Amino acid sequence: MSETTNRLQIGQSVPDFELTTYDPTQGDFSEISLAELKNQGKWTILFFYPADFTFV
Amino acid sequence: MGAEVITVSTDTQFVHLAWQNSEKELRDVKYPMGADPTGKLSRQFGVYDENTGLALRGTFIISPDGTLFNSEVNFYNLGRNIDELMRKFKANMYLARKATEACPSKWKDEGDKTLEPTAKMVGKVWEALNE
Repeated sequence: MSETTNRLQIGQSVPDFELTTYDPTQGDFSEISLAELKNQGKWTILFFYPADFTFV
Repeated sequence: MGAEVITVSTDTQFVHLAWQNSEKELRDVKYPMGADPTGKLSRQFGVYDENTGLALRGTFIISPDGTLFNSEVNFYNLGRNIDELMRKFKANMYLARKATEACPSKWKDEGDKTLEPTAKMVGKVWEALNE
C-alpha cells in the first residue's frame, strides 16, 4: 500500500504555502500563495491527484 | 463562488502545460495547476506516498482565515465525486456563518433543512428532519 506521513488535522491552521502553477486561463506560468488568497477573503480548495496524463 | 480551486500533483508546471495542451478532456479547465515536484505540500497534507513519489487523491477545503475545514483522501484507483465536494464546500461556507446549525447528510444547498442540535432534539432527530 501507500506510505504517508501524519497530516494536518481538521480545525488546524494551515501554514502559508506558495506554489508555482501553470494557469490555463493565461496560458502561462504563475505563482499562487495561501497568504494572498486569505487576503482576498477567498476559500481555497486543494485538489491533489497522482499524475498528469492519468485520470483525475 | 468565492473559492480558488488549485489542482496539485508532483509534476512540474511544464508537464502541466503539456498535459493541458494535449488532453481534450482538459480544454475547459480554468483552475491553476500547482506544481509540487518536491512533495513538500503533499507531505504537509499527508497525501505524499513515499513509495511512489506521487500524491494520493486528496481534497482539502481551507477557510478564508486559513483553517482546514474538510479533508477527503482516496486511494489511486478511486475517483472523487465532484457533486459531493461541492455539497461539502457549500455546507462549510454556510456553517461558517451559522455556527449553531448543522447540515444533515441530505443537505444539498442553502434553503435545505438544517438542524439546531439542542437538548430537545435528543431522540427526536426524525421529527426534526421530517416535521
